[in-house]
Amino acid sequence: MHMVAARGRRLASAVALATWVVAGVLGCARDRLDWPARRSGDRHGGVLSLAAAEDVPTLDPAIGYDTTSWFFEEHLFETLVTYDESSTLIPALAERWEISPDRRRYRFVLAAGVVFSDGTPLTASDVVGSLERVLEPRTRSQGAEYFRGIRGAREFVTGTATHVAGLTALDTGTLAIELAEPDPLFLHKLALMFAAVVPAALAQRLGDDFTSQPIGSGPFVLREWRRGERIVLARNPRYRRSDLPYLDGIVEQIGVNQQLAWLMFESGELDVAQIPPADFPAVMRDPARAEQAIHATTLTTAYLGLNCRMPPLDDRRVRQALNYAVNRAEVIALLNGRGIPARGIVPPNLPGYHGDFPGYGFDPTKARALLAEAGHAQGFATELWTQGADTDVKIAQKIQQDLAKIGVDLGIKLVAWSPFLEAIRQPRTVPIFDLGWSADFPDPSNFLDVLFHSSRWDANNHTFYANPTVDRLLDRARTLADEVERVHLYAEAERLIVEDAPAIFLYHPITYVIRHPRVHGYAIHAFLPARLTEVWLDPEP
Amino acid sequence: MGTLLVAAALVGPVLAPFDPAAAVAPQLAEPMPPAAPFYLGTDDLGRDVLSRLLYGARISLLVGVIAMIVTMAIGTAIGLTAGYFGGVTDVLLMRATDVMLAFPGLLLAVALVAVLRPSVWTIFVVIGLVSWTGVARVIRSEVLSLREREYVLAARAMGGRNGRILWRHVLPNALPTIVVIAALSTSGTILLDAGLSFLGIGVPPPTPTWGRMIQEATSYYRVAPWLMLFPGVAVLFAVLSFNFIAYGLAGDGRAPGA
Amino acid sequence: MRYLIGRLLWALVVLVGTTWVTFAIAFLVPGDPARVVAGPRADAETVATIRHELALDLPVPIQYGRYLTRLARGDLGRSYATRQPVADILRRRLSATATLACAGLAIAIVIGLAGGLVTAPLAGTWVDRATLIGSLALLSAPVFWLGMLALYYVGFRWRLLPLGGGGDIRHLAMPALVLGIGTGAYYARLLHVNLVTVLGLDYIRAARARGVSRVRVVAVHALRNASLPLVTVIGLDLAALLNGVVLTETVFHWPGLGRLAFDAVLNLDVPVIMGTVLLSATLVVLSNVAVDLIYRVIDPRIRLG
Repeated sequence: MHMVAARGRRLASAVALATWVVAGVLGCARDRLDWPARRSGDRHGGVLSLAAAEDVPTLDPAIGYDTTSWFFEEHLFETLVTYDESSTLIPALAERWEISPDRRRYRFVLAAGVVFSDGTPLTASDVVGSLERVLEPRTRSQGAEYFRGIRGAREFVTGTATHVAGLTALDTGTLAIELAEPDPLFLHKLALMFAAVVPAALAQRLGDDFTSQPIGSGPFVLREWRRGERIVLARNPRYRRSDLPYLDGIVEQIGVNQQLAWLMFESGELDVAQIPPADFPAVMRDPARAEQAIHATTLTTAYLGLNCRMPPLDDRRVRQALNYAVNRAEVIALLNGRGIPARGIVPPNLPGYHGDFPGYGFDPTKARALLAEAGHAQGFATELWTQGADTDVKIAQKIQQDLAKIGVDLGIKLVAWSPFLEAIRQPRTVPIFDLGWSADFPDPSNFLDVLFHSSRWDANNHTFYANPTVDRLLDRARTLADEVERVHLYAEAERLIVEDAPAIFLYHPITYVIRHPRVHGYAIHAFLPARLTEVWLDPEP
Repeated sequence: MGTLLVAAALVGPVLAPFDPAAAVAPQLAEPMPPAAPFYLGTDDLGRDVLSRLLYGARISLLVGVIAMIVTMAIGTAIGLTAGYFGGVTDVLLMRATDVMLAFPGLLLAVALVAVLRPSVWTIFVVIGLVSWTGVARVIRSEVLSLREREYVLAARAMGGRNGRILWRHVLPNALPTIVVIAALSTSGTILLDAGLSFLGIGVPPPTPTWGRMIQEATSYYRVAPWLMLFPGVAVLFAVLSFNFIAYGLAGDGRAPGA
Repeated sequence: MRYLIGRLLWALVVLVGTTWVTFAIAFLVPGDPARVVAGPRADAETVATIRHELALDLPVPIQYGRYLTRLARGDLGRSYATRQPVADILRRRLSATATLACAGLAIAIVIGLAGGLVTAPLAGTWVDRATLIGSLALLSAPVFWLGMLALYYVGFRWRLLPLGGGGDIRHLAMPALVLGIGTGAYYARLLHVNLVTVLGLDYIRAARARGVSRVRVVAVHALRNASLPLVTVIGLDLAALLNGVVLTETVFHWPGLGRLAFDAVLNLDVPVIMGTVLLSATLVVLSNVAVDLIYRVIDPRIRLG
């Protein structure tokens, strides 16, 4: 009978284990958070509810470069300068600044009396420490390259110097930065989250753990982060603007996919949500709901890169033919109309810039003619590599259909992200690839130089495009001080690039967001994650 | 009953009315419910679901069967060797099997697909590599018992070469088990292929595989539930028919693999 | 006792072998972990710096050696992507996956017991035939499809349960049910078959002749002996369960190991990959050892080996 006992015991313990686990899970039911009661008749108060599918990767501004991390970092930290709604640089932590005539020396005066959320004062040495932290190899920051232009940065990085010579805290409230070379984009670089000011000593001490214990001077502080479940921000009572933020807190639930988020939004549990493609037509047809939706064209371009060194794509006519063959209107229709056709690479809403060329329309006849001229009247076969996000695959299949009509057999190759990144760097591996580019800062060089200068083949010029005339134009424009002349040079460069067609320029996405009527002040920014500092909620009835 | 289902599953690929890769519906981005001439509706790219389903049958069955062949080849070879020769060979092979078993199968598949670049051939190999362990174990225990049968012992006593004995005596008698395992294995490979396609690492588009169709349907399940319903039912039928075959062959008594 | 030690030593060998194979595969995958960390926009210099900091520019065997030495000290490293200690990530995700797996297993056992017990006495009738088809159908359905159906009907149409995400038991119910149903059907079938065999044996009929009630006969006597194969199967089924868990976690966005491992492989987050594989391998190996031991204890006549 001990046979039976052993078996019985095993079954029993299995059941017991299961019960115990279930009980434990029950016990950890989600706690309720307490928020202060709202003062009536005031914009202040209220908690904004959001949801996202994936957890936030990190809250450390030195390493968090993706949109999700950036969104939270924006609310926990501040930079010296920032952008307003029209993408103009405005003061943030720096009250005012002067630039020397040779454009190499900057002097910033910090706003007075700023403290971090733990009460320690924010001084110029913290700014110096934050930038040095980004440059330090130990931090493994992707943003290091933006600040290598500071005098003494290279010596600091290689370990020859213990501090960056070009960064000096003149006193607790004044900071001087000296560049090795003039750089018209330097202020823009200081607006990146990499340049966010952190308590230097604390960050050094915490190292990699700073991401879970972020202390900044931003409008919000981190109240709770239950990974995989939710992240909660609360109002920073020590924020330098006493009237902001209006909200008491922001709660984002994690692990909520688009469809679930939509349902939660419809039942009033969420304040802001994205509109899933499946529901988009219905929402837009309903005038009441369409009114709650806001949209903005982003400073992003979606394109298919064409490898200019792999035949038959090394022939300009073939590349132009492909551009004429794609029906951009239908591609955008597939996206529920959430995009505008791209004539070139620089988005049309880039402030202060205007491209001057016709671009490629939909003209399959011309496409076929060009192919024939190039000696490919029978068409040819090639491959599109994509890393397989849902929209990308849909669009890839649509383009496959379009190209088939001019005799081009496009195979679609799905590759995971890391092999994809590797492959597009190889000179002769990937004929066509599917990528997009979002602006880091609102300047044409951020598109043209980065993607098409011949010196960037090992960086982001994956089309291996090289045109000496274009290079010369871009080089000249890079350090010019005269804005008008600069724009003129970039426009000319773009015209040449578009003519050479190193890519199939597809569209510029339009971001749509729908908000509950009680949400006010929410705006989509052309290239930054939405800022909630000036958002307020209607008081509960 | 089993034969009926199998016949239904096999006849499919011949009949598709539309090109599964072309957009034939009058509207893009809005799937249409079942209505003539699109009997199972259209998807978000304007393609006919029925045609895709039928082409998908061809692919899914092809993958299922060939992957099963790969699995059976590796698994039977290892199982036979381990079971028959015993001793050190057996221990080594079984430990190697343990190492393979310890790997989470899907993860291994993901990694292998990333290494080998996605294509139909890769999928055959990957599924085979991931699934052979179960087969090896079962074949091995079968061979272990067969080894002690009189005719084998007699053949060895008479000095027969091992290879011949394996080929002429052990293998034919293990055949019933092998066939049953093959059928069960096929249902497993079809499911695994659907799973891989669902995760996005199966056969590349626009080849319609059922798993991928289900995955593409995830965003639309509220407005167009038929997009995910039909491919799922298709997988169910295919797997079920192979399970039926296995059951029919094994009789109601045995549960292979226990 | 000696057997146990021998088994555990072998288990250790298997585990080390697993780490070696994983390491090899992680570096075979075309792709540069440093590049993934640096992001697509970084220039070559940044990538080189990151590569150096992560010691990825050392030869692979040396990296492996370093990994093993740190592992011996109990240090699993930090995720490349989020910088969190891998041990913390695993602990959190493991409890989520374990919860799901245990709940799924519990449901499978319940369905198995109920199904087997109820249908065995009815062997040969049309009810039996119907349940055979039904249970075969259930275990033939792809688990992620069942998951989506459940999401659609139970979550969306009937609004009974939340539509995914992690957290409390309400979020657990659907994924666990979906996970357990297919396996449960299999167990039910298994138990049914074994019960029918056992019920035909002499000592059962003897018990009935002695006047023991029908229910007691089935539930107490027959069940004990019929459930041995079931126990074995449950123990060895862990690997299959883990597979199902990955798919279920994806459909329901349950924050468990499956999804973590999948993303880690795609992003070449080597420390996390090593950690998850090690963890799952340990679990599988330990459960194999446990099952072998139980077998041995239950029936010392069985030769293992």
